[in-house]
Amino acid sequence: MKLLETHRAEIETIVARYASKRSAVLPLLYLAQDTYGYLTDEAIREVATILELPPTDVYEVVGFYTLFYNRPVGTWVLQVCDDVPCCYCGAEELIAALKQTLGISEDETTPDGMFTLQRVKCLAACDRAPVLQANLDYVYDVTPDRVQTLLNDLRARAAEARKRGVSGRFAEDYEFTRDGRLVQIERFAPYRPREFVIEPPAPVSSPPPSVVPEADAGLDRADTRKASPL
Amino acid sequence: MGLSEHIVMRELDIPDIADFEVYRRHGGWEAYRYALTEKTPADIVQMVKDSGLRGRGGAGFPTGIKWGFLPKGVYPRYLLCNCDESEPGTFNNHQIIDRNPHQLIEGVALSAYAIEANTAYIYMRGEFAAAARALEQAIAQAYAAGFLGKNILGTGFDLDIYIHRGAGAYICGEETALMESLEGKIGQPRLKPPFPAVAGLYGKPTIINNVETLANVPRIVEKGVAWYRSHGTEKSPGTKCFSLSGHVNRPGNYELPFGVPLRELIESPEYGGGMKGGRPVKIIIPGGASAPWLTADHLDVPLDYESIAAAGSMLGSGAVIVLNDTVSAPHLAYKMDEFFKHESCGKCTPCREGTHWLVRTLHRMVEDGHATAADIDTLHSIYRQMAGNCFCLLGESAVMPIKSALQLFPSEFEALVKRSGKSNGHHIPLVAHH
Ligand SMILES: Cc1cc2nc3c(=O)[nH]c(=O)nc-3n(C[C@H](O)[C@H](O)[C@H](O)COP(=O)(O)O)c2cc1C
Ligand code: SF4
Ligand code: FES
Repeated sequence: MKLLETHRAEIETIVARYASKRSAVLPLLYLAQDTYGYLTDEAIREVATILELPPTDVYEVVGFYTLFYNRPVGTWVLQVCDDVPCCYCGAEELIAALKQTLGISEDETTPDGMFTLQRVKCLAACDRAPVLQANLDYVYDVTPDRVQTLLNDLRARAAEARKRGVSGRFAEDYEFTRDGRLVQIERFAPYRPREFVIEPPAPVSSPPPSVVPEADAGLDRADTRKASPL
Repeated sequence: MGLSEHIVMRELDIPDIADFEVYRRHGGWEAYRYALTEKTPADIVQMVKDSGLRGRGGAGFPTGIKWGFLPKGVYPRYLLCNCDESEPGTFNNHQIIDRNPHQLIEGVALSAYAIEANTAYIYMRGEFAAAARALEQAIAQAYAAGFLGKNILGTGFDLDIYIHRGAGAYICGEETALMESLEGKIGQPRLKPPFPAVAGLYGKPTIINNVETLANVPRIVEKGVAWYRSHGTEKSPGTKCFSLSGHVNRPGNYELPFGVPLRELIESPEYGGGMKGGRPVKIIIPGGASAPWLTADHLDVPLDYESIAAAGSMLGSGAVIVLNDTVSAPHLAYKMDEFFKHESCGKCTPCREGTHWLVRTLHRMVEDGHATAADIDTLHSIYRQMAGNCFCLLGESAVMPIKSALQLFPSEFEALVKRSGKSNGHHIPLVAHH
């Protein structure tokens, strides 16, 4: 009963918000995930006990939602958006750079337990592509050349125990400035319009660069083939 | 055709409006005070009806009319603010909660008063973690100022607003799935009817509206119906925060009156700033992943519900994704349907199986480079079996990308087949043998 011992008051406040105890299952699973590190059987059963639910109901919820982890994850879970439009705005290059730098593939964790890499769907920040979340902290405008800066910063934060749980209970958002510095976004700070680098028009005759598989893909891609989605 | 004053994205006019005191100084919470002390809930419902405000969450349903569906005399009632915002290309709710949070909270409070609800939940996608923390603070400021809680402003009206974080599931943006999720269950949609206004959260009458919809309400009450209707078109009054993304020079949210032509949004130096590198527009998805595709032929279509529908698409969430000629239509359909497959809740067969087979077929054709002529027929056959047969709109939406791609760019699929035939003589079976 680790969760109840450490967070009793918070749990009572959460449960009081709803007409039915069961409604507290998502917030409590977040809390349990941070308390236990990930959703162990013990964690899931404790949530079930607190909310007077059959454990199977809680297991079902854990299985349905992608932000719950029922196996160990790295200190930092890096979730890169590879959806449309990000996939046409540098997401694939970012994922490739992360894979190369970390030496892991998607859904793997580095041997030192520091980073887990995942592809995720649209993060509602498509204008800031390439974009990722590190333990649900947004990081905007992560171009491949900024990967090292980001990873160094995350390692430093872990070393100083400034890492936050994987559930985002203490999340902050970050962005890269135009000169490549990683800065925390100040909440409620005055709005400043973004500055854009306008790409000059290319000569009209230039053929479309092959950013994505063209209609004639496949021919030379056989060796770089991705695993079948199943 | 820019706005002299923004209705929702007021951070452009008042950069520090995210500060509670600044919001107050600019009339913040006064519409609410006025409503509570001088107007009945029915008066507010009437005002919203007269304003012609339409839901910004996708369907464009008139908000005041929706509120009018609540059964008389049945309590408690709930107000839900839908901040699940997970449709690819959509990111305006995100900016509203980050940049003008107090107007959203006032909108939630005012709307709760109008529909006589004493509890409101803001359901935020789990990824909006930092934003949820900030919004909690903003709500706490409203409590401290006496705008929330018990016997507000001495009027006898009680209201609590809570934030509820989802945990990663696009389907929870669908209104009934959201209610299931809020009740602590997996996010699978409910059969309608009964509609939420009659039996929603915990089986009680419930109104659910999008963040942008609710953020409009304080301005309608503050400035009046005539002022509001002086923006936009007769049938789509007001403004829309368009989320512009893709291969434009200046991606971002732009609040414009309904009816602005697509071309202006994409090309104006104040908004999209034209296409990156001057490349031509190939595909425009005007309303998020669920909207049928448009092309460069549609650049002069006005951005309002009716005109976009007449052009064969839908305005949806107002997420305008603009892609250039480097993008392959089959690849785009593959990526889009991969999204829907990933997010299918698995409740009904046409969507669960249909998205699965679409993605498998497209994956083999696009990523593996093995395509046969029969695959094109298979794709047609799969989406036809899905269309009209899915339990909710997610499955129906998954039809759009592949249908659009096949209709608008058939030659690209044929080219896949031709190239594949050259590189590989034999057909790779669809079902993998392990
Ligand atoms: C699959 C699916 C996902 C949806 N996601 C959202 C969403 O993230 N936000 C939203 O406001 N509406 C979403 N909707 C629409 C809601 O069901 C609902 O119509 C809307 O919240 C009503 O608010 P409005 O009247 O203010 O537009 C979604 C609908 C479907 C079918
Ligand atoms: S259409 Fe898809 S998302 Fe909707 S109920 Fe069926 S399986 Fe679930
Ligand atoms: S597609 Fe990546 S944030 Fe929207």
